Amino acid sequence: MLVTETALHLGSELERAVNRMDFFRLFKSLAGSNGFSYFGITEIGGEEHGLNFQHVHALHNFPVAWFADPKEQVIGTADPVAQYLQKASAPHLMDIRQASSDVLLSSGADSAVIVPLHAATGKRYGLIMVGGDASEDHRALALIALDAALIFQRYFEVILSLDSISGLSDREIQIVRWTSEGKTSAEIAIILGLSEHTVNSYIAAVLRKLHVVNRAQMVASAIRSGLIA
Amino acid sequence: MSTTQDRKHLRVLLIDDDPAEHILLQRKLKKASETSIELDYVGDIGGAVDIVKAGGVDMVFLDNRLVPNNDFRETAPQLREAGFIGPIGIISSDISGKYFEEFRDYGVDFKIGKDEIDATVISFIVAEYTRDQLSDTCSEDYL
Repeated sequence: MLVTETALHLGSELERAVNRMDFFRLFKSLAGSNGFSYFGITEIGGEEHGLNFQHVHALHNFPVAWFADPKEQVIGTADPVAQYLQKASAPHLMDIRQASSDVLLSSGADSAVIVPLHAATGKRYGLIMVGGDASEDHRALALIALDAALIFQRYFEVILSLDSISGLSDREIQIVRWTSEGKTSAEIAIILGLSEHTVNSYIAAVLRKLHVVNRAQMVASAIRSGLIA
Repeated sequence: MSTTQDRKHLRVLLIDDDPAEHILLQRKLKKASETSIELDYVGDIGGAVDIVKAGGVDMVFLDNRLVPNNDFRETAPQLREAGFIGPIGIISSDISGKYFEEFRDYGVDFKIGKDEIDATVISFIVAEYTRDQLSDTCSEDYL
């Protein structure tokens, strides 16, 4: 396992990361710097749930063909990787041939590095790296875990923590206000000089913050809360 | 890769003043077998504005420095002013400049180094920027 001091995820890109694409790049860099071709990070749900890589905060570059159902993209509860992440809090080098992880065996590798991660809110996440020559090296495993924690901490600050913040940003208020004027996402994108994807990202974030499920509820809730007049 | 929607055919416009980048990206796209991508190419921002105005472009990969323009802060807004509302990604051999921190203020969706692009990155970009972020209950139902 090799960690270079010039790796992208250890440089200024960590401080500059602002969206999911940036964090995809950082975790991919962490995996690549340690000789792994693939990585995946997602929330660890309850014991009855597997690891869902379609989760809103999941990031991965696993080929969809690895999954039994490419549309669902889940590592099932019976999979040893999911079972390890359910109970463990320490990074681990897993022999996936012996443990027989169906999804990860598709990588052709013998082993995978698994790093449990904890958000400040108590939610637990798991990072999996596979597709390289992992070795039993405590020091290397510790460095991977440290780098993973640093990236994850930033991911929490920039992306994950937004779900638990009650206030709206200026941009979010702007978009709710235009929505209350009857504008569609495409129209708001043109007005604000953004992409429709970005507008919908803001709307999705507002829906989660206000605990509502559609635009009408979003506008009503924002008016009731005094967020918009 | 984080999408439940079926893969669809995408038309991506590469704007780069170096034609060699078109060939390089074309090769990488072929390896991203999970996605059907048609790559169009144009070497200047004026031509790009004409193409996006004509419609049919789903996503733009924009080289940071297009001669004679300065950087994306000068070019990306021209695409937005032309009414393009698809994702714009800035690709550059060097994205370390401090001004890249402001990319969202200029209507840009993401930035990536040219040496970072491979088949798995392309698959992620396509999945991330074509997925439905809002559930069916959040369709534009109030209109």
